[in-house]
Amino acid sequence: MLQVNGVDARHGDVQALWDVSLEVRAGEVVTIIGPNGAGKTTLMRTIMGLHTPSAGTITLDGTAIHTLPPHRVSERGVILVPEGRRLFGGMRVLENLEVGAYAPEARRRRAETLEFVFETFPILAERRQQQAGTLSGGQQQMLAIGRALMGLPRLLLLDEPSLGLAPIVVQQIFQVIESLGRQRGVTVLLVEQNARLALEVADRAYVLEQGRVAGTGRAADLLSDSRVQQAYLGYAPTPTEAPA
Amino acid sequence: MSPQLVAQNLVFGLFVGSNYGLAAVGLSLVFGVLRVLNVAHGELLMVGGYVTFWLFTLTGLDPFLSALVCAPVLFVLGLALNYGLFGFVERLDEETKIKNSLLISFGLTLVIQNAAQALWSADERSVSSSLVAGGTVVMGIALPYTRLAGLILALLTIVALHQLLQRTYFGKAVRATAEDWEAASVAGIDVQRTYLITFALGAALAGVAGTLVSIQYSIAPAVGIAWTLKALVVVVLAGLGSIFGAFAAGLVLGIAEQISVFILGAAYREVVGLVLFLLVLVLRPQGLFGSRAR
Amino acid sequence: MATQPAVETERASGGVRRPRLWLVGSVVAVAILAVVPLLTDRRDLLNLLFLVYLAVCLGQSWNIIGGFAGQVNLGHAAFFGIGALVARNLWAVQGYPFSLAFLAGGLAAVAFAMVIGVPTFRLRGVYFAIGTLGVGEVLRLTTANALPLVSALPTDLVNTYDLASRYELALALAAASTLAAYVLLHSRLGLGILAVREDEEAAQATGVDALRHKLVALAISSLFAGLAGATFAYYHVSYYPELAFSPHWTFDAVLITFIGGLGTLIGPVVGAVFYVLVREQLAVTLVNVHQVIFGILFIVVVLALPGGLVDLSSRLCRKR
Repeated sequence: MLQVNGVDARHGDVQALWDVSLEVRAGEVVTIIGPNGAGKTTLMRTIMGLHTPSAGTITLDGTAIHTLPPHRVSERGVILVPEGRRLFGGMRVLENLEVGAYAPEARRRRAETLEFVFETFPILAERRQQQAGTLSGGQQQMLAIGRALMGLPRLLLLDEPSLGLAPIVVQQIFQVIESLGRQRGVTVLLVEQNARLALEVADRAYVLEQGRVAGTGRAADLLSDSRVQQAYLGYAPTPTEAPA
Repeated sequence: MSPQLVAQNLVFGLFVGSNYGLAAVGLSLVFGVLRVLNVAHGELLMVGGYVTFWLFTLTGLDPFLSALVCAPVLFVLGLALNYGLFGFVERLDEETKIKNSLLISFGLTLVIQNAAQALWSADERSVSSSLVAGGTVVMGIALPYTRLAGLILALLTIVALHQLLQRTYFGKAVRATAEDWEAASVAGIDVQRTYLITFALGAALAGVAGTLVSIQYSIAPAVGIAWTLKALVVVVLAGLGSIFGAFAAGLVLGIAEQISVFILGAAYREVVGLVLFLLVLVLRPQGLFGSRAR
Repeated sequence: MATQPAVETERASGGVRRPRLWLVGSVVAVAILAVVPLLTDRRDLLNLLFLVYLAVCLGQSWNIIGGFAGQVNLGHAAFFGIGALVARNLWAVQGYPFSLAFLAGGLAAVAFAMVIGVPTFRLRGVYFAIGTLGVGEVLRLTTANALPLVSALPTDLVNTYDLASRYELALALAAASTLAAYVLLHSRLGLGILAVREDEEAAQATGVDALRHKLVALAISSLFAGLAGATFAYYHVSYYPELAFSPHWTFDAVLITFIGGLGTLIGPVVGAVFYVLVREQLAVTLVNVHQVIFGILFIVVVLALPGGLVDLSSRLCRKR
């Protein structure tokens, strides 16, 4: 479904992504893990069209999208839940959701989508008239996901959904992410610092380090890979591998 | 000093302030959404005033009615200016965008003011309404009908804007873009188009303000920059980006000026605005209605 | 970024290629210009050159705050006007010697500049622009209200009026402002100011007190603008006081700097000569249209050619 081919991306004079290639097939949950500053957010923003790659291509079902502005990428079914939520804090919960359904097709079906979002996140239904900026962190994340869902995404991009949230809230949200993938057939591309959670919920994974793809494989395989375990899952090296 | 005199001054302050507020709202809208400070806003107001004047002189259209023509004409002018000029700086980062839009609109002020002078001469023009004339006295306070009608027209315009922004999908798009244009873009909003229409709306608002100015004061090419200044002071008073707060701040300035004229005389009327401006910057930079210190 | 002039190469090469040649050339040019009043009696020539020198000073002074420090000043006319107001009052009304009035005018302008600079420089750049625009307009309107009558020189000053001294003063001011810009550009203070322009946060992080540097740049800028205003007051036999606060002085300063080359040393000089000469030509034929043309030219420069004429000429030189 989504093909990223040899993408380079720069921030001014600094290159952030080097020859990054990945793919996401329909119905999958794919995750990208890696350390801070590896370029994961840059990659998500580039896929969304907020950033133009200096080299390489990004295609959705064979059509190039890397030259399109974000609102066109969104119309084609690729929607980003940005790092830090980026809600419209001065607007109400309901209004945030309505704005999410701005594209014509999404707007037509917004009543039924709204029902689904409220079912998935009952707390949003309760607080629909509340100003988005006054919600708690977890509620904001739910609203951010809900807003993205209102756009009827075929591919949902999630950038660090667990950031700054309490563990129990993170659990809730990841349950939702999993169910979105399995039950609603929404394809998910997830960037996460919490590598364990991400690998547990994903089918496949990529490891991004210093702007390059350092590894890829099935999520279950990576979970049991010792290098991944040491680098990202907090495992100490085994006694026979004493540090030099 | 009788309570009647005080009340009269307050009421006149409101009348004057409603013009200031209306003049400022367009500027505030454009800055809040596009982050472009259009220093030529007053020139657009002046052009609106001239549209009213020429409609009045050539067709006899009552100036209060010509607001209905003025708004669309200035809307189109705003579309042209944004598409052909300001659009080029909209993609820059915010600090550079603000700086360049200041410079460009400064150049535009020069162009429009002198073009107006070349076309229509520097003479002051004014119009009078036949529909609305005379006045009434309520509890000893004089209420000229033109002033009253001006206040009502200003209020109607503000209410219409409010409804547009709060109730329509386009209005939600504008508010979303003002808060976070990237998130708005991801949600499917065409940010460039939103900028274009918002800028044109700002110009239309300036046009309506210009209509009121031509009725209550007079119009000449030189008044543009004076109104830009008024609008700027009001916008800073309210807080950059506070759209409806700008109208309220306009009323505040109107009343403050009226009081100072009463106490100090007319010569130092303008100083009030500057003093308030400096006070706000020192004591409360986010303005009277601003939410955070931007 | 549209406004990012090539001052770095300026500093590196000490201004231009072969700086010593330029220095000697400038001194010679100024010396020649200084003796012009001895060689000719043509008032039209002396008046034209006077306007050019005033324009150079206006441009250099705006360039210091707008080009070097990167702060958009839309009310330069305020400083010019205060200089004119104070100097005229002290000299023509109260009878003090002009040298005193001249300095007082400059210092008064600096004082007003600080009133605007101190509160606004702590905030985002847009507040400074609004503040300066505001001060300029308020002063103009208030002067128009408070001093609506023509300011005319008393008879004794009219009788002792000589154009040559006005000419020399303006020339000295043009040279002094250019020299000040040169010295500033090559000083440690100047380096700090340029750093603030490029990236204020980064400069602060390396220990540059951004507020202080901006205020110093503003002080120097307003000083020369005020002195220019005082010269204007010295030059005119009679004029309306509000004219010294007219926004066209700001327009002129900004136009000259941009068209010549923002942030460069000779930009304001080139811009001033170009602007005054072309304006004098056009003003005869097309009364208001010449300002429209300059306005459009200015917008084009901001959008497409931020380096101005200086940049254009160096690009053409490189192509050869």
